[in-house]
Amino acid sequence: MTDTVVKINDLVKRYGDLIALDHFDLEIKQGEIFGLLGPNGSGKTTTINCLLSLLAFDKGNIEIFGKKMTPVSYDIKKEIGVIMQNVAVFDELTVYENIDYFCGLYIKDKAERKKCVEEAIKFVGLEEFKKFYPKKLSGGLLRRLNIACGIAHKPKLIILDEPTVAVDPQSRNRILEGIQDLNRKGATIIYTSHYMEEVEQICTRIAIMDKGKKAAEGTKDELKRMIKNTETITIEILDIPDKVMGEISGLKHVYKTDLTDGKLTVYCSGGKHNFMRVLDVLQKNELSFGRVYTEQPTLNDVFLEITGKALRDKED
Amino acid sequence: MQVFKAMFKVTKKRLPSVLAYMLVFLFISFVHARSATKDNKFEANRLKICVFDEDDTPESHALIDFIGKSNNLKTIENDRDVIIDSLYYGRVDYALIINKGYAKKLSAGETDDLFGSYHMDENYSVVYMGQLLDEYTTSVKAYITMGKTIDEAISSAEEALSQHTEVSMLRLDKGGDSHYSVDFAQYFEFMVYILISAVMIVVCQVLVTMNRKDIRFRTNCSCIKESKYTFQLFFGSCLFVLAMWLVLMIFGIILNKEMYAGRAWYAVLNSLIFAAVTATIAVFVASFEPKENVLNLITQVLGLGMCFICGVFVPISVLGEGVLAVARFMPAYWYVKANNMIAETEPYSLSGVLQCYAIQTLFAVAMIVLSVLVRKVKYSSAAIGTSVKKIAVHQ
Repeated sequence: MTDTVVKINDLVKRYGDLIALDHFDLEIKQGEIFGLLGPNGSGKTTTINCLLSLLAFDKGNIEIFGKKMTPVSYDIKKEIGVIMQNVAVFDELTVYENIDYFCGLYIKDKAERKKCVEEAIKFVGLEEFKKFYPKKLSGGLLRRLNIACGIAHKPKLIILDEPTVAVDPQSRNRILEGIQDLNRKGATIIYTSHYMEEVEQICTRIAIMDKGKKAAEGTKDELKRMIKNTETITIEILDIPDKVMGEISGLKHVYKTDLTDGKLTVYCSGGKHNFMRVLDVLQKNELSFGRVYTEQPTLNDVFLEITGKALRDKED
Repeated sequence: MQVFKAMFKVTKKRLPSVLAYMLVFLFISFVHARSATKDNKFEANRLKICVFDEDDTPESHALIDFIGKSNNLKTIENDRDVIIDSLYYGRVDYALIINKGYAKKLSAGETDDLFGSYHMDENYSVVYMGQLLDEYTTSVKAYITMGKTIDEAISSAEEALSQHTEVSMLRLDKGGDSHYSVDFAQYFEFMVYILISAVMIVVCQVLVTMNRKDIRFRTNCSCIKESKYTFQLFFGSCLFVLAMWLVLMIFGIILNKEMYAGRAWYAVLNSLIFAAVTATIAVFVASFEPKENVLNLITQVLGLGMCFICGVFVPISVLGEGVLAVARFMPAYWYVKANNMIAETEPYSLSGVLQCYAIQTLFAVAMIVLSVLVRKVKYSSAAIGTSVKKIAVHQ
């Protein structure tokens, strides 16, 4: 029995002369929350569509639960739950009926299905809205209904494609907690997003995609270690003489400085006391300054350095 | 049957609008049928006659009895002003005076100056009574000439004139099959609009809902087989169309007051084929996934358009050749043509009716083929790919 849930080998998908997936490889282990990170058009959705056999690909191989995935692999599909960015529910059916319908596509037994539906409703906290029609629900509640429809049949592999787009912070936190809870109950999760904070918060392993390729893969710490930047120090200061600027730039571990709009930004690579050293230089030269803060690199920094562009190129 | 059950629930939500269409249609058909039934019935009219018997003989009494059998005898004062007022106000239709010497003259075979009368000019009662009295006196005269006595001649004439012919209204101008009257044929004709409207509103909208992109995506990800899913949608659509058709047929029985018989069965089959055609049109339109307001527009254009140019609202006979040339490309035209042939408003021929069935069936087949083609293109990986490519190119 293998603990590899998803295995993608050398996947190539072309649209004419456009290569959507360029020899893409991926392996996801059981019990992981795997983050697929990348900007729009990087190939995330194409990967998911190929994974679900909704899209034919030109080359490569996809295995799920150790079996080759094809459009008629209904035994594999039975173990997969999909939650897409768009809320895919019937406006004509109530909350309960919607979950029951989608659950019924997987589970025939009425009693078993009823139990699953009730559990899913409880899981997403829609007990009070069972008889509500989707049009009467708020955006956040709709997202929760969308999730309930995707997980009611208790899948072993759950694919979430940007499930928190346009969701209020309260609902977003609840969704993220829910995903972690599903994972704790044994489900393997594939989470695609361009919200790096979310991916950083919940994913145990992350792959960064760009132009249909896997740019990097690892845990968040592993990814952060891949880049030069380890610390960014920001100091609010009105002006700074060139001599002092030169002194700071010459400090050990400082590889880049920048003074823009009254903010001095110092980029460091390695070292443990960079912050103190920079402050020492300022105090020694009797320069007054405002707020001072230091930041660890984010996935955005990782992405920026690996791909040469910002991860979130467009805010949703 | 999870898909079928969901489809049923979605259909239930669409039913109120269909019910509105159905009720209006059935109400109009009912009113139309009632007025048409009266128009078709024959009932001999009884006039209000007052008789002033100046002869007062057994022969004149026999005539009064004879008149009273097919008319209502009224008694009014024998005064000119009273008689004229009564005629003017419609209390009597005709005032007959049996002149003195009636019996004598009749016995002698004379028929002149037997009667006098008061009546309104140009009233149908004048013709009717003139004819009745003429028939009576002529018959009596004929029997007397044959050698019968006056009493025998009167009784023979009464007997001969009491022979009535059974009258049934045969409207040759409007078709003549007793089991499928023209008025009943109109019920089937107007069915075109209700079938198109109801089927499009329900079947099309339900299919659009069930095949909505995001829902379809989720369904495709599930473990339900494509063939099973399609079958359940097909089964649900057929069931609805059949149910609607059955309601219309049952109402047809209520309107017709008897079960379908004779050529009416051809009309029943014709309507079933047309119902199937509308279902395939709905499936074809649904494959383009139109929005609700666009679908309503398509429904009205198709429904009203076909009804106006295919001879439902305006008879085919008054439509121009140019319009008919276009209409021939629409199934409703062949439905109406078959219906007209069955009702004999067009020369009836079984082969002609069957030909109309066949053409309608061909329309249905063409719609199915086109729907399959559209769906194939729409849901092929190439199409999905194109949309993905569009996203990628826009980056």
